[in-house]
Amino acid sequence: MGGIVGIYGFSKEWRMARFVYYALLALQHRGQENCGIVTFNGESLSQYKGSGLVDQVFSNQNILDELPGWIGIGSVTSTIEKDSSKIQPVIVWEPIPLALCFDGKILNIKDLVEKEKVNGENEAEILAKIFSLELEQTGNPMEAMVNFMGKIKGAYSLIVLTGKGEMIVGRDPAGIKPLTIGSFGFDYGVVASESCVMDVIGADFKNDVQPGEVYHFDAYSIERKQVLKPNPKFCAFEYVYYARPDSILNGKSIYEVRMKIGEKLAEEHSVNKGEIVLGVPETAIPFAMAYSNKTKTPLGIGFVQTGRRIRSAIKPTEFERIVGVQLKLNPIRAAIAGKKIVLVDDSVVRGTTTKNTVNIMRNRMGAKEVHVRIGSPRLIAQCPFGTDVPPKDELIAVHLNAEEVSKVVGADTFHWLSLKGLVEAIGIPRKNLCLGCFTGKYPQINCKER
Amino acid sequence: MVKVLLVGEAAREHAIAEAICRSSHDPKLYAVMRLRNPGIDSLCKVTGGESVLGNSQDPKFVVETAKKFHVDFVFVGPEEPLFRGTADELEKEGIPCIGAKRGPAELEMSKAFMRRLMWKYRIPGRLRFKAFKNVEDAIAYIHEYAESVALKPARQAGGKGVKVIADLQAYLTSEKTHVKREHAKAIHEKYMKDYRDIDDRILIEERVEGPEYTLQAFTDGRTVKPLPLVQDNKNAFEMDIGPETGGMGSIAGKGMFLPFITEEEYRKSVEIVKNCVRAVEKETGEKYKGIVSGQMMCTASWGPTIIEFYSRLGDPEAVNVLPILKTDIIEICEAIIDEKLNKIKLKFENVATVVKCVAPKGYPEERNLAKGHPLHVDVDMVKKLGCKVYFASTNLQPDGKIISGGSRLVEIFGKGKTIPEASRKVEACIPYVWLEDGWGVFHRSDIGSEQLLEKRIEQANLIRAVYKYRARKGLIGKTIEWIPKKGKIIIET
Repeated sequence: MGGIVGIYGFSKEWRMARFVYYALLALQHRGQENCGIVTFNGESLSQYKGSGLVDQVFSNQNILDELPGWIGIGSVTSTIEKDSSKIQPVIVWEPIPLALCFDGKILNIKDLVEKEKVNGENEAEILAKIFSLELEQTGNPMEAMVNFMGKIKGAYSLIVLTGKGEMIVGRDPAGIKPLTIGSFGFDYGVVASESCVMDVIGADFKNDVQPGEVYHFDAYSIERKQVLKPNPKFCAFEYVYYARPDSILNGKSIYEVRMKIGEKLAEEHSVNKGEIVLGVPETAIPFAMAYSNKTKTPLGIGFVQTGRRIRSAIKPTEFERIVGVQLKLNPIRAAIAGKKIVLVDDSVVRGTTTKNTVNIMRNRMGAKEVHVRIGSPRLIAQCPFGTDVPPKDELIAVHLNAEEVSKVVGADTFHWLSLKGLVEAIGIPRKNLCLGCFTGKYPQINCKER
Repeated sequence: MVKVLLVGEAAREHAIAEAICRSSHDPKLYAVMRLRNPGIDSLCKVTGGESVLGNSQDPKFVVETAKKFHVDFVFVGPEEPLFRGTADELEKEGIPCIGAKRGPAELEMSKAFMRRLMWKYRIPGRLRFKAFKNVEDAIAYIHEYAESVALKPARQAGGKGVKVIADLQAYLTSEKTHVKREHAKAIHEKYMKDYRDIDDRILIEERVEGPEYTLQAFTDGRTVKPLPLVQDNKNAFEMDIGPETGGMGSIAGKGMFLPFITEEEYRKSVEIVKNCVRAVEKETGEKYKGIVSGQMMCTASWGPTIIEFYSRLGDPEAVNVLPILKTDIIEICEAIIDEKLNKIKLKFENVATVVKCVAPKGYPEERNLAKGHPLHVDVDMVKKLGCKVYFASTNLQPDGKIISGGSRLVEIFGKGKTIPEASRKVEACIPYVWLEDGWGVFHRSDIGSEQLLEKRIEQANLIRAVYKYRARKGLIGKTIEWIPKKGKIIIET
């Protein structure tokens, strides 16, 4: 998983590194292991990358002053990289210098390595090398992107910055990964994984980059082209969990979708005479609010966070996840003790974090009853497109039904949102959504639909 | 027979020329142009007149040409000849001119003069500003006050050199300050370099936001007769992304208003422009005769607010309104000359209009790349599709080839019952414009589209709600602050 941003200044007095930095802070929730920034100053590409959160890697803000130029791209990723030079954006110098970052997963990477005769330690590096070769052959970034997207198969949103200061942006024809576009006055254009970036850096959100669409920015034009025939399969998990509630993706406000999910939970499995609704921070808060509004059950605050905000569920190890949850969820006794509680969370992967939470509420805080409602359908399959969902044998929903899960986690009742409920809440036709992690059926991705 | 000399060579002047040639008074058109605009050139020939190549900005040359052809009056299209005293020089020779004299034209020429005037006469729709006579003082001010501002050359510099910086994120202020400083230097060293006719160099204004629109009007100094409101689109590329241009296309109608400007706002806008015309006469002692245009914005501080003044028609805005003007333009001009504009009733076709500019790749930042390419326009096809072509920065060669001049190539006008309908008609014509050497052209397909209109309406509603709130609280024209240890301060805006 990851988040990407590219900012293209229309005049040379802009210094973009600090804008990219704040954009990456706004995308931190999409990847918390590595981050990097590459800028262009009219002569060459400059880079700074590292492992850690954005404000840790760039803790010395002087680094930003040393990344010169009016064009900058950056990314946050959630995969561990041993070699910091392989952290995105990856730079290749031969044959044509360029930097590339992307969010997603390429399915035919092995074929590409063989056919294109490139090697690389990760997908980003392989893609960067292939793009560089395309650019050498075509001499034209737009054409290079057309050929490139014709070859790669998978889910991706990607940004390339060339050593000549051209920025090329593409989104896969299924649009599985989000990508948005915005601008600031007459001064710069922005592309970013989520629209919240625009607010944070003071730009105006304009639109989604459409599935199969490419934008090419250079010193004197912005060109838009529908390169591959769109066949939208927008990732439903973005709406449930991944994206920030202040973002608008594929024309839908994440906040509004999450409020509707809460209403659907209330319609499908409302708790009779619940005394307080508590949402597990932060994703499930809108679910809980809407559930409360709909059922007229009072809403409370159940937990306070210790330390910095992190996404516990996407931490790579079980130990880190438990530490994350325990620090994130210090319960408020007065909200919990002696009450019949509706506990709303966003997803259940292995069940361990839910179990931990319910146990504390019941055993230490003295909850009378705990009824768990989950704002997503049963999570039953691993994502082939790079969303961090563990393999099937680690997913509780594959193996147990709701009643069994309630016993495992220590809840009085336990319910998932129905698939139908989720689709209705998102408000995008089912055929245009990827619901694979809830159904096990993933859209077939073709690379040659022109 | 009426003989008219037209000064200027852009699409605006092509539209003026066409309006003159529609007159029932047997017009004979003459033109002074720096580049041979094929549209104007052909209209001159059709009416039995003549076009002359030469420096249209040089008053002496204009006077000589007017005398040579014994014209009845001169119509000045662009602003620069007015700033250089063309109307004044013509008056000395007893030749009437549609176009303000050097004094009243100061309303456009000096943005500092215009702001001072609005403050002195307490005209609503004014903005807080500071004018600087040197770059050091401007930079010192920039460093002292980190806020959202518009940095402008103090003089009209061909529409170039304005930078608006929203400085709302404290964590990005260091970068914004850097850009403000660099731009202040650029204004001094680049945009104002060739202008020594005013003392002020740099203007720093409070930054405002909201929907922009242009109110163009004829005036004889006593009466102001407004034309339908027009909205131009300044960003080079679609979705309002990209650098600032002279305008990539404009919309108007149906009727006198725009879909996102209320009748009340329209009336207030007209009132502001009238007040300014009166004030400029008091200040300079000279009547404003010709065209006055308010480049306006509906802002949270005032509602209708003046961003800049034009002493001429806008380009492309002129192309929205002149083709649908039903009143004889020669009669309007004569009424301006005789100060009898109050007797004239302006009539327009009751339609929506859309104008789209087609520009060569390279415009607006790299004009040298955009220059020198042979243009092809299928004028008959555009006509068949119900639209009209107005030539912009183009130069007709003796061999009949039309060569790009570096700026916009053509402006295509279309009309319809609604703005989107007119937009679709114009859109159908775009494929009939290209450069014969294969150099790329671009235009904005989104101008006049339902989606963009919706965005404008949304933005206007947002701003309207704020200025209405301010009006309810008695805050129009002022802001109230409370500063610790100093107390309540009322700041006039």
